[in-house]
Parts: sequence; structure tokens; C-alpha cells
Amino acid sequence: MRSRVIILEAAAGPLYLLILAASVWVLLRGHNEPGGGFIGGLIAVSASILWAVARGSDAARQRLPLRDPLILGATGVLLAALSGVPALLLGDAYLTHLWATLPLGFTDLKVSTVLLFDLGVYLCVWGALAGYALALLAVDDEAAASGGER
Amino acid sequence: MAAVTEDRRGGLGWVERGLFTALPTLALGLVVWKLALLELPLSVSWSWVPALGIDLAFRVDGLSALMLLMITGVGTAVFVYAGGYLAGHPGLRRLYVLLSLFMLAMIGCVTADHLVVLFMFWEATSVLSFLLVGFDHERTDSRKSAQQALMITGTGGLALLGGFIMLGQASGTYVISEIVDVLPSLAATPELTAALVLILIGAFTKSAQFPFHFWLPNAMAAPTPVSAYLHSATMVKLGVYLLARLDPGFGEWPLWEWGLKGAGSITAAWGMVLALRERDLKRILAWSTVATLGTLVTLVGLRGEGATVAVGTLLLAHALYKAPLFFVAGNIDHGTGTRVIDHLGNLRHAMPWTAAAALLAGASMAGMPLSFGYVVKDVILEAKSAGDVFAFAKAANTVFGAVAVAVAGVAAVRVFWRHPGVNETCEAHEGGPALVAPPLLLALAGITLGTFPFFAQELIAGATGAMTPDAEAVAFSLALEFGPALLSLLATFAVGVVVYLLWDPLHARFERAARRVGRIGMAAQFERALSWIPRSAAASTRALQTGRLPAYVALAAGTIVIALAAALVADWPSLYWPSADGWPGGGPVGACALIVFGAVAAVLQRDRLVLLLAAGLVGYGSGLLFLFTGAPDVAYTQFTVETVFVIVVASVLLALNRQHRAAGLAEPLWRPGAFMLAVGFGAAVTALLLVATAGSFDTALSQFFAERSVPDAYGRNVVNVILVDFRALDTLGEITVVLLSLIAAVPLLQALRPARDKGDGA
Repeated sequence: MRSRVIILEAAAGPLYLLILAASVWVLLRGHNEPGGGFIGGLIAVSASILWAVARGSDAARQRLPLRDPLILGATGVLLAALSGVPALLLGDAYLTHLWATLPLGFTDLKVSTVLLFDLGVYLCVWGALAGYALALLAVDDEAAASGGER
Repeated sequence: MAAVTEDRRGGLGWVERGLFTALPTLALGLVVWKLALLELPLSVSWSWVPALGIDLAFRVDGLSALMLLMITGVGTAVFVYAGGYLAGHPGLRRLYVLLSLFMLAMIGCVTADHLVVLFMFWEATSVLSFLLVGFDHERTDSRKSAQQALMITGTGGLALLGGFIMLGQASGTYVISEIVDVLPSLAATPELTAALVLILIGAFTKSAQFPFHFWLPNAMAAPTPVSAYLHSATMVKLGVYLLARLDPGFGEWPLWEWGLKGAGSITAAWGMVLALRERDLKRILAWSTVATLGTLVTLVGLRGEGATVAVGTLLLAHALYKAPLFFVAGNIDHGTGTRVIDHLGNLRHAMPWTAAAALLAGASMAGMPLSFGYVVKDVILEAKSAGDVFAFAKAANTVFGAVAVAVAGVAAVRVFWRHPGVNETCEAHEGGPALVAPPLLLALAGITLGTFPFFAQELIAGATGAMTPDAEAVAFSLALEFGPALLSLLATFAVGVVVYLLWDPLHARFERAARRVGRIGMAAQFERALSWIPRSAAASTRALQTGRLPAYVALAAGTIVIALAAALVADWPSLYWPSADGWPGGGPVGACALIVFGAVAAVLQRDRLVLLLAAGLVGYGSGLLFLFTGAPDVAYTQFTVETVFVIVVASVLLALNRQHRAAGLAEPLWRPGAFMLAVGFGAAVTALLLVATAGSFDTALSQFFAERSVPDAYGRNVVNVILVDFRALDTLGEITVVLLSLIAAVPLLQALRPARDKGDGA
């Protein structure tokens, strides 16, 4: 069986959420400050890797949204592709981004198809790179599983 | 793949069969309705790719109308027949879907008035033909035949595309009806000659003309409805259609005229000879189809109006007798389980309706009076005597006709009336109405048109008008004449009966001769050429794919060095080291020191894990450098990527270590080859940088993005705005590639997995 590192396992729970929150923050601030979908997605991948190191690759896979890196990545590409469609319906060129401001009382929330696009990038990077990383980390699990017997 | 999704319980209900059959029936009704109502030609056009001048242009003239009638008419018969022939077959739905798509592609092909549109549909028919010939994809020979058909028609398609582009460039338009008008006034430039040759290759491969004739009989691996539809009535006629379509333009070219006459005559003769070799009823019919296609091509090449009349009538007549004969062959296969004529005979009692259809269609094929085939013979005879052909053409015509008579005799008389000696097909039985009605109706249509030829007058006149350069009405009349044609027919018929009676001895003789020819025949050459592909691939794989990662890296790096050196050697004298303007600051210098330290450590280390960490230092150093030179986004990305990379690779290395499979590097520290490569690579990249920085930096783009970022895209982070807004389409392409790379890597990554299953078992 794989050797368990209790401290890492215990820390992984809160850290996972913290890293994901950071990745979302980086994603959201990206339009005005350094950040964006690519970097946010990469940070999210590192959260998945943390989970894989602490609890094993399969557990990390289960924790992914949609539970499958390939489907996660495909959803991202789909979102990004769809974000250009509203402009098409309005007669603009594909991927001409639209902006709207929602007044929430205490502050104005700016929503746009750009955010949808960047979210697509974020999910695609997370899914695709986590797919690679988790599959490679699975080798470690195999080794840990069979290593004791050798 | 498709087999998995198919309904394994078998077949389709009659409702679904009916719905599928309604498609060609509706199309047929539409064609007839439009024909009856409208004056031809009829044309529509939509803009498609305006930047390239490509329009979805369609035009229906007399020739298209004739083809459309055949496509939808025979299509209806085929759809009905397929429902009966493959009743209960799990792949019937797939067959219907493919046949429907094929019909659409054919309709597009014969109505397209733009070379690019025509080519698109042309390719679609090739691909669908591949899928249809390979319908029984569990059988090796059907897969092989499908591959052969696709290889030949696909290669021809490539030639055709080249020819079309050259033709379009030379004539200044891609609209077919305009090209045909322009062509006669153009000079015979080498480009136009090349276009002509390429188009001939495309048309000849599609219509199975010599030397590309051999794929058609092999395509008989397809189910009978497919053979009847694709390989007799419609698809193989596409080549003839294209030639006839371009004939008013190219007709005066000697190369065109003699190319068509030469290839057509050889194909006609060769097809007839090879028909005598076969014992399989379907392959006999296939070779006679090849011969007919040859005759059609020859007729297109012949000058004179009579020839175009002959093309139109023969196109129609052949569809009306060859499709039913294929159905008959299918019925015999269905009812007795064999198509080899040695085992067949006396089937008229068991299969009376099929026998009747065979007789009617056979009569038309043999050119008996009162059949449409007789009208065709008459018209062809006139065309050939009017056209300027050699004296022996008449004799050759008689011989070809005689073999056609003999083939008709085999298909229609021998298997139904001749007693085979021993009864090997005692379980022979007639198929249902879906199997009997289509051949009977088509054959009856042939007889009706033969008895009352003026029914086809309008149709043939329209087609002839489209094929004749000076679009004046062609004066001719299809009528029953019992003049000299009857006399020549009698001669043909007599020879045909002799060939029919001597079929078996002739066959034996040809078989002996053919065994020697077979080794040098076109099919054998084709196979030999094909076998070179895997052989050369294996050789290049052995040479390049050593399986050693260092060799790949060395190969890639070496190639880059050579390519860069070749490109930069001319700039060498102008390269100079840029003058440093002051101390760059502690940050960049420290970052560079980190990079150098990491790189040197990586070179000196023997332990893979330490080497990895040292390489990671290079990455972090680069990230720091980006940070200090004002690219925080790139720096963050670099840090994250480096971290993820190091963790993942370290995990894998640790795992391998635990399995004692990751010892230190075995190579010695000093390797001159690697050293030279590294120095060369560094020098080449440095030179590239010097060239890049030597040129004046055009700030137009960076200024544009910096200025427009906030007002146009409401974002202050220019890098991100470029990624998600200004150049969003590029980004969309990139993330698609990222995802596709994972999809491509999934099988490789999954190959890592079975290790655990084995480990658990052990």
C-alpha cells in the first residue's frame, strides 16, 4: 500500500482550497493586473498535484471538477469557443467581446464574454495539464503499490 | 466503430426503410417536376468564400438533368432493393445513411458550376465509395478493395485538384459554364496542357479507364445494392460526366481528342477481354461496365453531334440495363448463396421474376430490337461512321458488341435456362417484392424507351445541347429504324452467340494466358508500388527512430543548428555585439548568475534527481529575469510551470528509484560530440538574437496594444487583453491544441497503467 504522510494529508485539505481560491483570484484579476486564465489554470494544476502527492493520483482525479481531466479540458475549450457566439448573433465578428455592468448596490459588477473566454482557458489548462501530471504521478502510485513487495 | 453502435438485434423496421427510401423518391419527384416545369438551364449561386472567389454555384442543364434522373431514379430502386437485400442485417441503417450521403454528393457533383464545389463533392463520393465498398469491414478482401479504390480515386482526385486550379488560373474564372466558353479562345500554353493532363488523370481514375481500370472489378466486394448504384449507374460515370462537361471547351485539342479515344478504346477492348476471364457473375458484369465506360469515353472524344447523342443515350441505356443485371446477380447470390456461374443453371423455375427481369435487361444490353439498347447501337453506329475513325473501328465495334451479347447471354440466359448437369442449387428461392420489383421496373423502363424512343427524345436532346459547343438545337430523332443497323446487329448477334456458346473453352484459354499476364498487369504493379510505402517507412524508422531520447534531442538540436547557420551565414559580417549602456542592475545579474549556476551544475551532475533540480534552477533564473525586465505575467507562468514540472518529474524519478530502474547517468562526463553540439547550439541562438536585436524595433504594434487596450477592451493588463481579446482566436486555437495533445497522449499515458495490474497480480 502507499505510504501515508499524515501531516501532508492533513495539510492538503485546507491547502487545496486555498490554492484553488488563489488561482480563481489570479484568473479574475488577470484583466487589469498580472494574471489570467493561463496562470490561474497552472496554479490550479499545482493544487491537483498537491492532492495527488498527498492522497494519490486517482483521488486527485476524483477531486477535479467533472472528475475527468479530458472532459474538464474539453469543457474549457467549449466555453471559450461559445464565448464568441453572442457576438456572431449580433452580427459582429466571431469573438468580438461584449461587456455589461450589473449594479449590485454596493459595487458595480462588470461581466463580459471575456471572462467566459478566460474561464475556458483556465479550465482547459487545468484539465489538460492535470491530465498529464496525474497520469505521470500515477507511476509513483504504482511504484509505491508494488515497491513494498520487491 | 460503427458496428459497435449498431442495433445488434438486426435490421430496420419497414417504417424506417420507407423513410430512407422516401429520400431518393422525393428527389426523383423533384427532378421530374422541375424538368417538366422549367426551362433549362437553371442556375443558383450563393457566396461562400468571397475572399477566394468561391461561390456555391449550381447549374442544371440538360446533361445535369440526365445525370440527376439516373442518380435519383436508380437511387430509388437501390434504396428499395437494399432494404430487401440486407433485411435483418445489423448494418442496414449505416448503409442507408451512407447511401443517402452518397446520393447527396452525387447530386452536388453533377449540378456544381464551380470547379472547387465540384471537386468537393467529387472527393465526397470517393470517400463515401470507400466506406461503401468496405461495408463488410470484417472481411479482409473488402477492406483491401476499399483501400485500393480509395487510393486510386483519391490520387486521381489530387491530380484533378491540381488540374482544376491550373485551369481556373489559366482561364481567369472557376465557373465551369464560363470556362467552357472561354477555353476555345485560349492559346495552348504549357500550363493549360498540364491542366488538361491532370484532369484526364482525375477523370480516368474515377471512370476506371486504362491504366487505372483494375480497381472497379475489385470493388465488387461491396454489397450488391452498392455495386449497382456506385459501380454501374452513377459514380463511375462521373469521370465521363466531367469529360463531357469540359468537351465543348477542350474538344479541339488533339491531346484531348486522342487521349480520350486512345484510353477509351483500350479500356473497351481490355474490359471485354477480361470479362471472358471471370467466373463470378458480378465481376463479369463489372468488366463489361469497364468496357462500356471505355466506349463512353471514346464517344466523348469523337467529334460531331452524333457522338454527343450517342453519349447521352448510352449513359441512360447503360443505367437502365446494368443496374437491373447487378440486381439479378444479387438476387442469385441471395437465393443460391453463390455467384460463380459454374454452379448456376436452370434457375428459371425457382426465380421466375428475376429471370424475367434478367431477360428484359439482357435484351437491352445485347441490343435486341424493341429495347433501348438497340436505339443506342443505332446511334453509336451513326456516330462512328460519321466521325473520322479508322476503318477497323467498325469491325472492332462488332466484336465489342458481340462480347456484350455474350455477357448478356451469360447473365440472362445461361444461369436461368442452361441445365448445369448436377443441381447444386436446390435451395434456390425467389426474394421478396423488394428484391424483384426494382430490377423488373428498371428493365421495363429500358424496354419501354426502346419501343417508344421519342419518350427519351427531350431528355437526350437537352443533354446533347449541353455537350455541343455551338449550343444550337441538334437535329436528330430517336426512332425505331430497321435499316443498316439491323443488318450490323445481326452480324454482331451471330458472333455474340458463338462467343456465348464457346464461353467455357474461351475462358480456359484466357485463364492460362492471364496467369502469365497477371504478374505484369496493372493490379500487380499497383500492389508492388504500395508495398514500397511500408518498406521505406520501416527503413526511415530504423534510421531515425532509435528509441533513445538523447539521440532524438541531438537530432533536433543538430537540425536547428544547421538550419540557423544556413540562414544566418549571410548576415555574419554585419553581426556586432551591442554596446552595453550602463550597469543592468543587481536583479538581472543575479538572475543570470542563477541560470549559469544551474546550467553548469546540470552538466556536472550524474544523479538524475539533482540534475533535475539544477535544471529547475535555470527555469527559476529565467523567471526572475523576466520579472526584472518587466514581464511579470511571463515570469509567473514560468515559475508555475517550472514548479509543476519539477514536482511531477521528481515524483516519477523517485518512483523509478524505488524500482531501482533509475541509476545515475552512465555516460562519461567528457563527451566531445555533445560538447560541440551544445556550443554550436548556443552560438546559433546567440547569432539569431544578435540579428533580431540589430534590426530597428518596430513599435507600431506595442503602441497600438498599449493605447487601445483600455478603451477598446477595458483591460489594463495588455498581455492578457491580447490573449483573450485582440488575438482571442489564436488563443482558442492554442488551447484546442493543448487539449488535442492530451487526447493524443492518453494512449501513451494509459500504457503506464497496466504496470499496476501486473504488480497486483504478482
